[in-house]
Amino acid sequence: MPQDLRRILEACAPAEAEWVGLRRVRTAGRGWQAKDGKFESAYDFTDEGYMVEVLFAGQFGYAATASPGSAAMKAAAARALELARSAQAWASFRFQPAARPPTVLGWETRRALRSSLGGDLLSRHAIRLTEAMRVSEKIVLASAELVLRDLVSELVSTSGAAIEQETSLLLCGYQAVARDGSVTQRRSSHGMGSSTNQGGRELLDLDSGEAGARAVALQAIELLEAEECPSMRADLVLAPDQMMLQIHESVGHPLELDRILGDERNYAGSSFVRLEDIGSLQYGSPLMNVSFDPGVPSEAASYAADDIGNPARKEFIIKDGILVRALGSLESQARSGLAGVANQRAQDWFRAPIDRMANLNLEAGSDRVGNIIAGIERGVWMESNRSWSIDDHRNKFQFGCEYARLIEDGRFTRTLRNPNYRGISATFWKNLFKVGEASSLGVLGTPNCGKGEPNQVITVGHASPVCAFRDVEIFGGGA
Amino acid sequence: MSTARELEARFSRACEVLLGELASGEAISIEFSGESSTFLRFNRGARQIGEVDQSRVSFKYYRDGRTLSSLFETTDSPELDARTAAAALDRARREAALLPEDPYQTLPAAAGSSREEFTGQLPESGRLPKTILDPARPFQGAGADFVGIHSQGPVCRGAANSKGARHWFATENFVVDYSAWLANGKAVKSSYAGREWDDQEYARKLGSELPRLEALSRGERTIPAGEYRVYIAADALGEFVPFFSWNGLSERQIREGESAFIALKEGRRLMSPSFSLSQDFGLGIEPRFNELGEVAPDHLPLIEGGRLANSLVSARSARQYGVASNASPEWEGLRSASIGAGELAEEEVFVSIGTGLYLSNLHYLNWSDFDSARVTGMTRFACFWIEGGRLVAPIKDMRFDESLYHLFGDKLKALSSKRQLVSETSTYDRRALGGSMLPGILVDGFTFTL
Repeated sequence: MPQDLRRILEACAPAEAEWVGLRRVRTAGRGWQAKDGKFESAYDFTDEGYMVEVLFAGQFGYAATASPGSAAMKAAAARALELARSAQAWASFRFQPAARPPTVLGWETRRALRSSLGGDLLSRHAIRLTEAMRVSEKIVLASAELVLRDLVSELVSTSGAAIEQETSLLLCGYQAVARDGSVTQRRSSHGMGSSTNQGGRELLDLDSGEAGARAVALQAIELLEAEECPSMRADLVLAPDQMMLQIHESVGHPLELDRILGDERNYAGSSFVRLEDIGSLQYGSPLMNVSFDPGVPSEAASYAADDIGNPARKEFIIKDGILVRALGSLESQARSGLAGVANQRAQDWFRAPIDRMANLNLEAGSDRVGNIIAGIERGVWMESNRSWSIDDHRNKFQFGCEYARLIEDGRFTRTLRNPNYRGISATFWKNLFKVGEASSLGVLGTPNCGKGEPNQVITVGHASPVCAFRDVEIFGGGA
Repeated sequence: MSTARELEARFSRACEVLLGELASGEAISIEFSGESSTFLRFNRGARQIGEVDQSRVSFKYYRDGRTLSSLFETTDSPELDARTAAAALDRARREAALLPEDPYQTLPAAAGSSREEFTGQLPESGRLPKTILDPARPFQGAGADFVGIHSQGPVCRGAANSKGARHWFATENFVVDYSAWLANGKAVKSSYAGREWDDQEYARKLGSELPRLEALSRGERTIPAGEYRVYIAADALGEFVPFFSWNGLSERQIREGESAFIALKEGRRLMSPSFSLSQDFGLGIEPRFNELGEVAPDHLPLIEGGRLANSLVSARSARQYGVASNASPEWEGLRSASIGAGELAEEEVFVSIGTGLYLSNLHYLNWSDFDSARVTGMTRFACFWIEGGRLVAPIKDMRFDESLYHLFGDKLKALSSKRQLVSETSTYDRRALGGSMLPGILVDGFTFTL
């Protein structure tokens, strides 16, 4: 437990405050990049900083600093109080101290292998991945990236919270770019940046990773000769590495309660979902079951408590197609009077926590992937996101993928390039007609979810099986 | 709150340790980014208020053909900072020794120095809610919610290297990035930014939004998918500017097949003769130096008369590909973008649209096809249906999907004679500096899809 942090808190907490919290975040990051069989870049850093948060007359104020001395912390706490005091007459809502629970816990990422690998081994592994992708003269770029990030987040408060959580993340990604004449195609491991997971050394497959890299490069070459994705309305089958994006943009973001309450209207946007929809809205077909689950061991955004100390547990967000709960933190729950989840999260010590996704997963169904394909007369299989855009109410979307295959009369017939599809969230999920069984589940994540004013990026996880949707507008590239 | 002077002292102390402890055969390039920011987020009143004092040194360490990047936070304690800097350097030495050789290592070579400082008159931070929210009361009277964020305080950038380069840029500025929302879900969006706060100017700016709000209260028009004549105002055009950086005009990305402008580079596709794009530091809103201490030219034409004039070339790409550098940062992104003006007068915009759309803002743009430089995105905020040269009604938001070769090429009919500075408001990791000088553009046959 963070004893030194408690001593700092006791020394700096202003007497007039109703509640004071002190959060310290320490990060150690290492990364290596290789291109075309050669070293490209490497970094190694540590970072540490503090955020003091004060509640005064129902209004929170914060001050963040990297300066750990008692004078600096006292000054930060006094500034947080002064700012809270200045805003209390203008407060959009008056919070109670219960918005910051007195949780006591310790937690860490489950790691099977705890020892770390040296920069020599890891930089060479990145180079080997790029060497494995040089399968043809037409590969004009083979790149690979390995990122390790260890993050220790501690929180103490005047109401008794004492939390220490240690998260270990690994991102391993690679990409091949192929070119022939005026045609350029890209293929990557699940879409760049999407292979982020929690765990230890066991996540890094030093022996067989090259086979995956070579397969990616061969598909990039295959795409050069592939047909352009045709324009049509047809069934759409999405692999887990595109379902991740589909869940993120058209389920996760519209169900963030702070968006529904209007906080994000000026930047990230609002939602097509209204407060009164929660508990009754038919969001998708009865096959759709979505959970907020911070307890999946290898998933990128697992934790035991969020950044305000709210203990985290699995909750269904959509059950049998009905929206039963939104992604709302204790603050949003107090403002809306609705149930929520433990999702008030901050990017780092220098940003205040807000409503975020964490692990948001589509529960597995009962269909074998072979049976899903066999049951489709005309459709397209798409995998690995490469383009994403959705309106500010998270309704009208257009997404593109790296790789697709045409499905005709229950079997794959041809590879397609530049596949895109568009739709409307409010109707798209109602056309979900097949959900793959657990063996088709992919557990993926990204460190790059952007939101908030001031802006923040955060790590999220999404697990999904293969899913199929009816009557989707599909099209290709060009023009 | 730290002042710009205090932040500069942190930069100087870090340079002293990192440069002072450097041994023979070692080289280093150092970057500094610091700010002391007050943020007030508002949504029907004060939502979050706080301050962030943040100053970060990032450096590249070079020895025996190896290169390693690192970073650390600086603080108000000279002793702690000296220990942190020395420890970071030691760690960089150990870790760099484990790495393979960097085949295109670019040692710092620039030795110049520069100094730019802009002081400001900012609102008193202890009275921010009153200063920012009180003048917005007329929105309440119009039935609109006032939503957004105010940011203020000093922002600093520095660069130095072991060849003797030393650069410093500091500014004290503010931006109120806001929107006003009617109950029907329609909103106006704008910002008030600068170095000299003026209560009256701020109130005047907010008051000028009220007529647009009135127009947005009219019944919404649903537009079927298809091609339309549109005027894309400067704020909306600003959403396209990142696409010249992201898979854009980088020499490296063009060579690696990662640019959407390969066809432009190869002359297979052209833009309109009336379209010109340049990097123009004459705007004076962000530093010209990069992480190696190199200083970019004041003006760099990128697209002239619809043809590629220059790509953005870093020292690393220059070494790797044997071309001349134009002092681009290593990420080869476009800074201080400037699109040339045309002849369309502001008062003629509606008439020149005739029947079509006026687009104030766009949202969530992304490449939808690289080879054809096609971009998709959404209309947002105050976008209107125009008929017979007159504003008729706000529209239900529409999705577009259009090639930049068309948008800035055969479909580009006119550019406005007046340009506007569209300030960078991003606050990811830190408050961004910079902005773009942009006209509005008239486009025929702009493609809406959903």
